[in-house]
Amino acid sequence: MLIQQLINGLILGSTYALIALGYTMVYGIIELINFAHGEIYMCGAFVGLILVTVAKVPFIPAFLLAMAAGALLGITVEYLAYRPLRQSSRLAALISAIGASIFLSNLALLIMGAKPYTFPSPIESKVYKNSFFVISRVEIIVLVSSVLLMIALTFFVQKTKIGKAMRATAQDRDTASLMGININRIITITFAIGSALGAAAGVMVGVYFRTVTPTMGLMPGLKGFVAAVIGGIGNIPGAMFGGIALGIAEVMGAAYISSQYRDAVAFALLIIVLLFKPAGLLGTNAQEKV
Amino acid sequence: MIGPYYLQLLILIGINTIMATSLNLILGYTGQLSIGHAAFMSLGAYGSALVTLHFGFPFLPSLLCGALLAALFGVIIGLPTLRLKGDYLAIATLGLGEIVRIVFLNLEITGGAVGLRGIPKKTTLLWVVLAVLFTVFILNRIIRSRIGRAFIAIREDETAADSMGINSTYYKTLCFGVGAFFAGLGGGLLAHYMRYLHPNSFGFMRSIEHLCMVVLGGLGNMWGAFIGATILTVTPELLRTVADLRLLIYGAVLVLMMRVRPQGLLGQPLRNGIPLLGRFFQQARPKL
Amino acid sequence: MKIRKSALFVAAAVILCLVLVMTIAGCTPEDKNVLKIGMVGPLTGGTAEYGIKALRGIEIAVEEANASGELGEITLKVISEDTEGDWSKAANAFTKLIDVDKVDVIVGAVLSSETEAGAPIVKDSKMPTISPTSTAEDLTKDNPYLFRNCLTDKVQVELLVDYAVEELGLGKFAILYVNNDYGVSLKDSFEAKAKKMAEVVAVESFEDKTVAFQDRLDKIKRKDPDCIFIGGYYEEAAKIAQQAKERDLDVQILGADGLTNEALIEIGEEAVEGTYATSGFFPDEPTPEVQNFVTVYKEKHDEIPDMFAAQAYDAARIVIETIKNQGVTLEDIENGTASALIREGIAATKDFPGISGKTSLDEEGEAIKNAFILKVEGGKFILAKSPVDN
Repeated sequence: MLIQQLINGLILGSTYALIALGYTMVYGIIELINFAHGEIYMCGAFVGLILVTVAKVPFIPAFLLAMAAGALLGITVEYLAYRPLRQSSRLAALISAIGASIFLSNLALLIMGAKPYTFPSPIESKVYKNSFFVISRVEIIVLVSSVLLMIALTFFVQKTKIGKAMRATAQDRDTASLMGININRIITITFAIGSALGAAAGVMVGVYFRTVTPTMGLMPGLKGFVAAVIGGIGNIPGAMFGGIALGIAEVMGAAYISSQYRDAVAFALLIIVLLFKPAGLLGTNAQEKV
Repeated sequence: MIGPYYLQLLILIGINTIMATSLNLILGYTGQLSIGHAAFMSLGAYGSALVTLHFGFPFLPSLLCGALLAALFGVIIGLPTLRLKGDYLAIATLGLGEIVRIVFLNLEITGGAVGLRGIPKKTTLLWVVLAVLFTVFILNRIIRSRIGRAFIAIREDETAADSMGINSTYYKTLCFGVGAFFAGLGGGLLAHYMRYLHPNSFGFMRSIEHLCMVVLGGLGNMWGAFIGATILTVTPELLRTVADLRLLIYGAVLVLMMRVRPQGLLGQPLRNGIPLLGRFFQQARPKL
Repeated sequence: MKIRKSALFVAAAVILCLVLVMTIAGCTPEDKNVLKIGMVGPLTGGTAEYGIKALRGIEIAVEEANASGELGEITLKVISEDTEGDWSKAANAFTKLIDVDKVDVIVGAVLSSETEAGAPIVKDSKMPTISPTSTAEDLTKDNPYLFRNCLTDKVQVELLVDYAVEELGLGKFAILYVNNDYGVSLKDSFEAKAKKMAEVVAVESFEDKTVAFQDRLDKIKRKDPDCIFIGGYYEEAAKIAQQAKERDLDVQILGADGLTNEALIEIGEEAVEGTYATSGFFPDEPTPEVQNFVTVYKEKHDEIPDMFAAQAYDAARIVIETIKNQGVTLEDIENGTASALIREGIAATKDFPGISGKTSLDEEGEAIKNAFILKVEGGKFILAKSPVDN
């Protein structure tokens, strides 16, 4: 059973990891907690759903289009809610982010209504068993896709020129701009990629759990954020690690301690990490300059 | 005489004023990004309600017990999270707020998922007005004293304050404790007015409401907290006819306000013409 | 500290305006022939579905009554107030209906926590209130103004356990319940009865709107049950059924009235075949009242009504019948004595032929009803067991 629960945690964790990546990329570059990220995740799921059910688009193109839609939404939110506040205080940006989140989730509620929508299954359900654990085909796909996306992202950030520009901007924005990097463009690209990943997570969760609702972004958004912090916010491998760690911790906690306090486990883990290693488990401690 | 509906509204305005001013102490004056304030409210609410129900205490001692319980947690929460700054503190307080809510949802003594019923009605408009005056008076005294100046110093530049000999650990813990105390007071008043409690009303959204009240009125501004509380208590009631658009408008207003008037409606308080909120609410990053 | 005088002015002006608007908004002209029915429930927010369905049920009943003229000169009007699913806003809603809208009776609230918040208010204001869907235990106790016509958890659960043990031959129960008042109440009743008649091997809980049950199901699987009782709603139940099958936990699924909605089959597909669930309402019941309601609802809202709508319809019908039986007149509405008469009438409800079953109300305001047991077969709900007559 231990192995089974580990697998459960791994799969749950990979969805958290994808969401966490979006948060961490944005924070790394403009030091803002993008509260609206959970709503972008939800929007990705809905766009995917509509494309597959109404427009009868086959699954993989629908998935990519949903990612594109998420990217577009992310860019719009950045432009309207965050960019004008770049010179303002952190608190103002935080509140603006919260406002954007509330606006988007209620817009979705208004448009789609509160009832749950069913996501049709794109592939035939099949279950693989062995003596240690059981895993379904969908779960394998979720896991593999997440890993592929994460590898693609890491490659992009480490090996491409834009990736280098992103890392430079995250490190020191002013110097980067002095070096000739178009900051606005880089920030837009960062938001686009982070949001696309969030939307991808949304579609995958929609397929995996077969339901899409306008309020589905709230808890996963919070948990994805917690995952990003646990791994070390602003740190891409950290987000992946944090997501998996959170997924496993949550499932293990529910399995071996108590299932009632399951959500509390996530937040408790957050507090513990913040207390002992605030930069996150994979983060580096940046000294505050006086 | 005022009808029951308007009376209820006034009482809620009063309670929310207490919530907003107590958060203002932590957020506006000491600059600590606390977004789990509703947890203190619920601690005070449940604390005082349980004391009334199980020990039969009269009203004032019950309120006091609830407020002290909240203050205790304020200190407990304040101490370990002291090392965290800015966004990290925000997340930590958010997480702690959720933990409190989840624990209350599962404990038998708080009624768990069914809620706590049968609390006697003891809160009246008079009590609320007295409580508001008490809160404002005490907080005002604190702000004008050495303690208040220490808070402001910490808000402006904690490192500088430390090097000037201000024990930031002590003062930050103090601000959390005091802010939580009054939040607990507000919670106790709510409990004895509603006569029923359920943890789901004390979650993240409620903390955000308190945050918005403070920001709307103006950080570090006592009157501002009152204005913010009034507007955000009354407006949802007024907008009942467009209820499904309400939260939409709420979100949009938040975004717009931060763009157009981030210092809140009443802006910053001035002393001798000099803005009291220095660097904190102005620029986040000095220009090159 | 010196605040800019102008800012203070602005603030005062804003407050003054708000107060003015409030008072003006409160002044609606009184309609003389109208008896106002208030409705409290979540019309926005995550639980909006339940409130909206309940409101629809009430509106259909009211429209029918007005159209048929059965109340003579009296016209009915529904005034609804949103709670957003928050009990503290529910308190505001109740007070507004009573004090500002001046309703004569309230059908509501929907969620148990909302009704709990309203209970002391309606008691103090002597406003007869009947909730169509709040199932929390002892909700109406010691409150002569609060009633409810929904199927109680205890009744349906006991029926289900009896059926499961005696007709289905099950003996090792696993319970998976949602951690809110509905689920907790179901779990308590089910566990108590199941322990008396057979064995309870596992009890696990989940939060509202959970989507991933794999790990809980794995835990349950270890205990080797022969069935799982789901104390929750159809959305989660469908997923539980699916994930249980995937996890090789292919056991009988049982549920309460929260499962009996078409969406269970829509979402769950083959996984929910063979599920048994209790219900207060069976949309395929061949009686003319039920079919009439289903037809009207389907025409208006393009879906088959579920128990929320049906029980709300019945609650409104109980009020309408009461108005007739008590001989409420226009004078009563005018001088405010209608409410007292309505309260008397509701309290005396006996063998009311509702579309959600024959309903009587006892001295505590609790509903005495019987339940159907439905089964999912061939992709739809069929009747497995009819309610036994009292």
